[in-house]
Amino acid sequence: MSTDVKKSWLASRLPCPAKEAGSCAPTLERGAPYAATLPALITGAVLFLLASGLVLAVYYNPAHGFDSIQFIARNVNSGWLIQGFHTTGVTMLFAAVYWLLFRDIYTGAYRAPGELVWLLRVKLFALLLLVGWLGYTLSDGAVSYWSLTNATTAATALGGVAGVIGRWFFGGPNGAGTLARLEVFHAVLALAALGTLGASRCAARALARQTKPQHPVSCHPYYTSQTFAAFAVFALIFAVLMFFAPHYGLNPLNRAASDSLIVPAVLSPPWYLSPVSAVASVFSTAAGSIFGAIVMLAVLAALPWLDRSSPNSKRGLFYRLLTGLLLLDVIGLGWSVSDPACTISGSLTVVFTIWYFFHFLVLTPLVTALEAK
Amino acid sequence: MAGTSEHAVGHGGDSRRDFLKILTVATGVVGAGAVIWPFIDALGPDADGTAAAHLIVDVAGIPENTAITVTWNGLPIYIRKLTAQQIADTQAVVTSTLVDPADFASRVKPGYDSFVVVVGLNTGSPCALEGNAPADPRGPFDGWLSPCDGSVYDPLGRVRGGPATKNLAIPRFKFINDAQIQFG
Repeated sequence: MSTDVKKSWLASRLPCPAKEAGSCAPTLERGAPYAATLPALITGAVLFLLASGLVLAVYYNPAHGFDSIQFIARNVNSGWLIQGFHTTGVTMLFAAVYWLLFRDIYTGAYRAPGELVWLLRVKLFALLLLVGWLGYTLSDGAVSYWSLTNATTAATALGGVAGVIGRWFFGGPNGAGTLARLEVFHAVLALAALGTLGASRCAARALARQTKPQHPVSCHPYYTSQTFAAFAVFALIFAVLMFFAPHYGLNPLNRAASDSLIVPAVLSPPWYLSPVSAVASVFSTAAGSIFGAIVMLAVLAALPWLDRSSPNSKRGLFYRLLTGLLLLDVIGLGWSVSDPACTISGSLTVVFTIWYFFHFLVLTPLVTALEAK
Repeated sequence: MAGTSEHAVGHGGDSRRDFLKILTVATGVVGAGAVIWPFIDALGPDADGTAAAHLIVDVAGIPENTAITVTWNGLPIYIRKLTAQQIADTQAVVTSTLVDPADFASRVKPGYDSFVVVVGLNTGSPCALEGNAPADPRGPFDGWLSPCDGSVYDPLGRVRGGPATKNLAIPRFKFINDAQIQFG
């Protein structure tokens, strides 16, 4: 009896929405694919990165960024492991986000009434790119130093509103206090990404509730066990990468300390930033590079309106082939900036960039309109 | 099939499922523990911090009638070697006449009567005490003198005069051998 009283005391003061909505009620459609657990995996990855990032932030010293990371790896108990969690966690997070976006493009999930979910996912992607780049600059390595210096130089040189925002963001040229403020932006924008992720999952859940399931099943244990199995595979891949390829997709030259007098031979960014970096590198001016990166994300966000097919119609074979080509194109974009020793990689970047925009701005409206007939 | 039904009769219908469930949960708990442990471990003190918290000081080289200063936990620690005369004088004091009564045995470690280890901060208005070197001003009891408020301490660090009313604090330490003491 006392527990009943206690329960009602607590329940009356702290109502649990999940309990009231009846999360165990059979309201979900049976047979969702394993890829539908991607948002849950992304949430897990973001929370994992927040936890490891908090531990790193305790020891990180922006005045001596590179040295403090060496300190974390060598002196802090299990510091090498926490640092590996953070580095490899980013790789897993971006792999899941890229996969989610490609899956949405492939299946056409972005079409009405899914536009809001899609927009929030693109916003999440944009925020994660920014947070990822900020974290990369915090490594204070030989390569990331020049990425940051080029960005701050561009920001001080830009005119108009972009210049004002850039100077506010970086606080002038790359100097003593730059990494300290970027550490704060890294953490704050990571929380903003978590919020955006929550919003996108809320919107996706509201969308799922609109259709009445043919074979209804309850969330638990039907989908909790599926998520658990997906999570186990995700964690296994993470562990293999972390222990056997801890620097996967990262520029090895960035393992040296930053030096304001030495520009490394290869200035390639981490793999997850390289497609955007490639599009930005096509433009010769700073303003052009920023414009390129923004337009690259903008066409992604505009996809629901570029697609001329009716909602719920099947994707045609040609469109699916083109999506496969787009995947190769984005991989090619990333590869073309990671290997500057290849003499034609510069022109390949231009070709891949043109194809990227050609795909979204010309082929997508054309093919979806043709296949809708 | 026969084996399955026999199994079900023999051990209850859910025995196989229960076993797998326990196995899965146990593996999951071990895995979660293995992931969480580095987070807890990383926030603890590192080897440098642990070593600093358990500072070892060589006291064999301290000359008689002299104190050395070491820093431990951010505090100035005075380690003083007493002369036979100082030991005899401080043992002769009637404890009940003191401002903050403390006998000789409570100010030194048993078996190491000649070493006094105290926090060298005046207990009145906090400031570092003078009197470590024989040539320093030490006050009438040949101990320490506060340059800030004039409080006077004897060689055991007991307050003998001035605004201060408490004896000098004794840090946590032990003799690990005749030549070395360890703090913490």
